[in-house]
Amino acid sequence: MTTEPAIRVENLNVSFGDSHVVKDLSFSVGSGESYGIVGESGSGKSTVLRVLSGLNRDWGGTVEIAGQTQPKIRDKAFYRAVQMVFQDPYGSLHPKKTVDDTLAEPLAIHGIGDAERRIGRAMSEVGLPASFRFRYPHQLSGGQRQRVAIARALVLEPSILLLDEPTSALDVSIQAEVLNLLQALRRERKLTYVLVSHDLAVVAHMCQRLLVMQFGRGVEEMTAQMLAARSPQTDYARQLLTASEGFRRD
Amino acid sequence: MNESIKEQPLLELDNLRVDFHTPTGIVHAVRGLSFTLGRERLGIVGESGSGKSMTGRAILDLIPPPGLVTADRMVFRGQDLLTMDRRERRKLRGRRISMVMQDPKFSLNPVRTVGDQIAEAYRVHHRASAREARERSLSMLEQVQIREPARVYELYPHEVSGGMGQRVMIAMMLIAEPDILIADEPTSALDVTVQLQILKILDDLVTQRGMGLIFISHDLHLVQSFCDRVIVMYGGKAMETLPAAELADESARARRHPYTLGLLGCLPDLDHPKAELATLTRDPAWLA
Amino acid sequence: MTTWTDYLLTDSPSSRRQARLGQMYRKWLAFRRNPLAMVGLCIIVALLLVAAFAPLIATADPLAQNLDRRLLPPSATNIFGTDSLGRDIFSRIVYGTRVTLVIVLLVVVSVGPIGLLIGATSGYLGGWVDRALMRMTDVFLAFPRLVLALAFVAALGPGLENAVIAIAITAWPPYARVARAETLIIRQQDYIAAIRLQGASQWRIVWKHVVPLCLPSLIVRTTLDMAGVILIAAGLGFLGLGAQPPIPEWGAMISAGREQIFDQWWVATFPGIAICIVALGFNLLGDGLRDVMDAR
Repeated sequence: MTTEPAIRVENLNVSFGDSHVVKDLSFSVGSGESYGIVGESGSGKSTVLRVLSGLNRDWGGTVEIAGQTQPKIRDKAFYRAVQMVFQDPYGSLHPKKTVDDTLAEPLAIHGIGDAERRIGRAMSEVGLPASFRFRYPHQLSGGQRQRVAIARALVLEPSILLLDEPTSALDVSIQAEVLNLLQALRRERKLTYVLVSHDLAVVAHMCQRLLVMQFGRGVEEMTAQMLAARSPQTDYARQLLTASEGFRRD
Repeated sequence: MNESIKEQPLLELDNLRVDFHTPTGIVHAVRGLSFTLGRERLGIVGESGSGKSMTGRAILDLIPPPGLVTADRMVFRGQDLLTMDRRERRKLRGRRISMVMQDPKFSLNPVRTVGDQIAEAYRVHHRASAREARERSLSMLEQVQIREPARVYELYPHEVSGGMGQRVMIAMMLIAEPDILIADEPTSALDVTVQLQILKILDDLVTQRGMGLIFISHDLHLVQSFCDRVIVMYGGKAMETLPAAELADESARARRHPYTLGLLGCLPDLDHPKAELATLTRDPAWLA
Repeated sequence: MTTWTDYLLTDSPSSRRQARLGQMYRKWLAFRRNPLAMVGLCIIVALLLVAAFAPLIATADPLAQNLDRRLLPPSATNIFGTDSLGRDIFSRIVYGTRVTLVIVLLVVVSVGPIGLLIGATSGYLGGWVDRALMRMTDVFLAFPRLVLALAFVAALGPGLENAVIAIAITAWPPYARVARAETLIIRQQDYIAAIRLQGASQWRIVWKHVVPLCLPSLIVRTTLDMAGVILIAAGLGFLGLGAQPPIPEWGAMISAGREQIFDQWWVATFPGIAICIVALGFNLLGDGLRDVMDAR
């Protein structure tokens, strides 16, 4: 490898009061790679994303992004490089702001001119018709809201996108559209993804490598091929894989 | 299985409609759904807005105003539900036909212990002393595979995990020994491993007690592996009714409704990786 | 006619302004469907009109005393009768709307923003800022409002301005509480996390993203509270600590009429009815606004 990893996490530890939710976690994500984190509720997978994004400021260990060690409180430049898409499209858009307001805000914060062109570009990239620009979230469907959330993340032209269960609140047909969109964006913009999900099939579809987490620990790291070949090494990963295949009567 | 369908069905529905009369016009949530339910696991799958939940609620007479339920026939074990008065209908609900919903947190009273709530559910429908109700509740908790029933009995809803809460709900619904259980996305809020445990409990109840189960879900994989028959709904109509095993059957593809195929096609699949997922094109003719 | 309703109700507005106006128009349509709220609105609009055109409506000078015509019952010349100094009660009530409105406006202008800012800041920042600000509100909330206002007026000296200041000082804590409670919920939301992830400063988040969401419930609360403010102002007036004679303030008018309440009932009754109607108007309006604005 000649290029340094986009993200490198070393011995990450996070505690909320008495509960130790992430324990000695280490992994790295190559530039332009799509990396999945899989686990059940309470595995700490979302917490990892919140640490990477700077939302969670109470952690120990090392987080490097593009070769730079990250402090607990990130500077403005960081947010131009790393953006996040949240799980619930109904909760991640400000109810009193139009699509236009939502997309213009990051540009205003960073003092970027040229808002008109950038907003137009972001909207067309995520497949939102221009006529939606002045709609409020309640005038949009779940899938359209998630497209707005993706556009908001893209408008600052980041190189890393953190995806927290981006489709688990959507219908399967809408999920397919959003996943296709995310795939296409990654190809075009050479983005690095970290995708957190409970759905193995989604992670296998989207990612080249993935990490299985349980009780705050990384249980097993594997490639998507290993997952598809049903050859995980640990019991827990195998159990998760079997469970995801549906109900079995014995 | 085949014999059980032949005997008198538990529920017969013919041309069920649910309409909401709103100021901006009539919204048809369910438009002409017909099916019969035997002692089996009947799955109803569909996306949001397909009318699958409304169907479950209509059977229980739980459609809030301005919703209006009509049907040509709605018969529960020979009793006509359409002509029955509200009071009798309410008695049926809970006692003979029960429902488990997605999130137990919203269905349990937060200021009473879960055990008390189960015991009360029992005493509403049976004449029993407090002691007897408690004993029945404990054994019910055991049946839904709660390890320390006596301890869990004393817990408040906020003290139990999602999976345990759902088991408590199921125990509460089943203590009256209903003939039909309507489960509306009973496991969607749960982790996969917990999900399977809950399904196992429901499965045992169908096979051992001969209960009829209506399993409402958006998850095709789950319905396919768990149910006997599946109704695929879209826009308030049944697109098709088919044996669950045929959903995955490649050789039966030609007989499938395009909507069913579309739903299957847009799921990412571990065994058949593809660069791009198929997207669903909806045909207005399906609703004609 | 249809063209501008189309413009307002379109699903795809083409500018920011059109989107905002459309949103407001939809709210208005919803508000209009509530008859009681419309009654409230009519009362408040009537109050505004009466205050604006008081000189045209009043039949006499509200301050002109005429000791020959003391305590006359309602008649064609003095439709609400006269008071103990021979002044026309109807005219005094008409001019009294101005006093009431001044009190209401000053209180709204001072209390709303203070409560909102303190509450939103406290809720969003949390920690010691939250503790300090909330203990301060606790101190204010520990006293009955009228009693606290009394204490302030007693310290500041009686008069209309001081009455307003006293009411404002005692009125903001509940607003701060409401704003804080809302903020605590709002700040947990993903859209606030998303804005933090765009690098927005805390001030910007509170001011541009949290405050607009607290605003509706605060407007509703203010409107509902107006009835209380009017009553406290009247109470202070009644105790002689509010507007000073000869300003025609409704509370003071009732107070002046209390000696004659059994023999000359009209002196206290008509200002009482006026207070009652205006308070009712604000309450109905507030209820209607709540139905429209708090529905998320």
